[in-house]
Amino acid sequence: MRRRLREKGNAFVIPAIFWVLTFTIFPLVYSFRVSLSKVLYGKLVGFAGASNYLRMFGDYRFWGTLRFTLVLVLISVCATTAIGLGLAIVFNRKMKGLRAFRSILTMPLFTAPVALGYLGVMMFYEENGPINVLLKYLGMGKVPWLSHPLWATLAICLVDIWQWTPFAFIILLAGLQSISDEIYEAAVIDTSSGWAVFRHITLPLLSPVLGTVIMLRMVDAFKAFDIPFSLTSGGPGTATRTLTFYIYTQGLRNFDLGYASAMAYFLLAITMIIGLLFFRRYRELYE
Amino acid sequence: MRRRRKGSVVTEILTWVVVVIAILWVLFPFYWTVITSFKKPADVFRLSSIPWLQFTPTLSNWQTEFTQRGPEILRGITNSIIIAVFASLIAVALGTLAGYGLARYKYVKWRNQSMAFWFLSQRFLPPAATVIPFFLLMKSLGLLDTRVALILVNTTFAMPFAVLIMKDMFRELPVELEEAALVDGCSRWEAFLRIALPLAAPALVATVIICFSFAWNEFLFALVLTYKKATPMTIIIAGTEHTQGVQFWYVSTRLLLAILPPTLLALTVQRYIVRGLTMGAVKG
Repeated sequence: MRRRLREKGNAFVIPAIFWVLTFTIFPLVYSFRVSLSKVLYGKLVGFAGASNYLRMFGDYRFWGTLRFTLVLVLISVCATTAIGLGLAIVFNRKMKGLRAFRSILTMPLFTAPVALGYLGVMMFYEENGPINVLLKYLGMGKVPWLSHPLWATLAICLVDIWQWTPFAFIILLAGLQSISDEIYEAAVIDTSSGWAVFRHITLPLLSPVLGTVIMLRMVDAFKAFDIPFSLTSGGPGTATRTLTFYIYTQGLRNFDLGYASAMAYFLLAITMIIGLLFFRRYRELYE
Repeated sequence: MRRRRKGSVVTEILTWVVVVIAILWVLFPFYWTVITSFKKPADVFRLSSIPWLQFTPTLSNWQTEFTQRGPEILRGITNSIIIAVFASLIAVALGTLAGYGLARYKYVKWRNQSMAFWFLSQRFLPPAATVIPFFLLMKSLGLLDTRVALILVNTTFAMPFAVLIMKDMFRELPVELEEAALVDGCSRWEAFLRIALPLAAPALVATVIICFSFAWNEFLFALVLTYKKATPMTIIIAGTEHTQGVQFWYVSTRLLLAILPPTLLALTVQRYIVRGLTMGAVKG
């Protein structure tokens, strides 16, 4: 049927396309113009060439935020994918009652990240917060979660991991469940080692889904803003500011719009590269 | 699973240990927020975790919140509901149309695949890239601090998602029913409204719920585009900590009000969650 209808379908798709074009492409084009302009008091006052882009290279604060963003991406993507995969394997067993628990595990995904940051302030509170008390029972001293740069980084990663592990978990579980039982039955005849089955059967069959998870997680981690904003306000000092955080501060607190737009384009370039890799691999899924 | 046959009792016990740890890990922060909201300030800093045994629960935080800051919270909740409801409804309405078009028609000028790709590429667009031009746009339109501005933004974020999910859903419906309706003299539009749409209703509701949750949780644009009249719940909780220091007992009541609606709603859409999160890249 789809093949027969070549005409009159436009009315269905045009409203949505028009809407998204208006509110994403137009702002992006405008923001590109801003990134090439000199901006004073929120007004474009002249052409600045590439100077806003070149400014990034000499700005140590930019490099600091970029480094923190990369650390967050690396830790969060690795940890969420690894823990998510482990949990998915456990939940893939056919046992009664697991389904209900599976639903509970997806709850963090729908919790507002900014709320989670404030929740983190309670959990990581240094004087008698629940986490530090637990660590005291385990024989550790008071951990300066929010006042020491390294610990603050870890705290943000932990909250991010708490929120996004279910994402990897639920998608990888769907991937595992789509692998048919016969393949395993055949494999078990050949080898008795669970590890060998996992390494040579499960992992290769799961790899497209694993790739999807890793790429989507990377994009989301690069976009991080809410949790550092609410948990540490980017501090102590500026130790935990992400790229988005710095763009927000420069553009909408200091109104250095040109420079902020240039950095926004830098971030856009990163996520678009990930996007291109994604499309290259998964072209056939969207025919 | 097949590997269960060997040493199945040990494996089963280990499985449940992992499950219990995972559940505790997920639920503990929620539990902590709930009990903190029922604690007297003195109990908050004297670490105690079991109500009635270690501390006496009190309703006073909730009462104070609703009497002293009632109007502000009410405004936040109202704004959040209005923004999320309108954004999700508009996104799903237009998204359903486009999804149906992509599933049932063959487009020649822009191929179906290119359009699907283009919608999906929005998933890779960082909000930071559009927040500055959006701010300038809303400023020049005089829409700063209005719910309209946030409805526009959140609809834009939710739309590609709705398009792709609904496209998949319609593609899975049998075409024959609609073809039969066409033969019986229905127009294309009637076939869509009377046959396809009712069949896709469960997916439609799930998509609305997921879009609603994302719009409810949105923070960056709310922070930039609103400051008083139109602030949603995510901004109301952000305001509290800075002005009042560490009054966890009040923070927790507001956190719960902000967290619970989308979290509980999402429990009803488990079947669609995997598609929802990957925009159809993985079928769940």
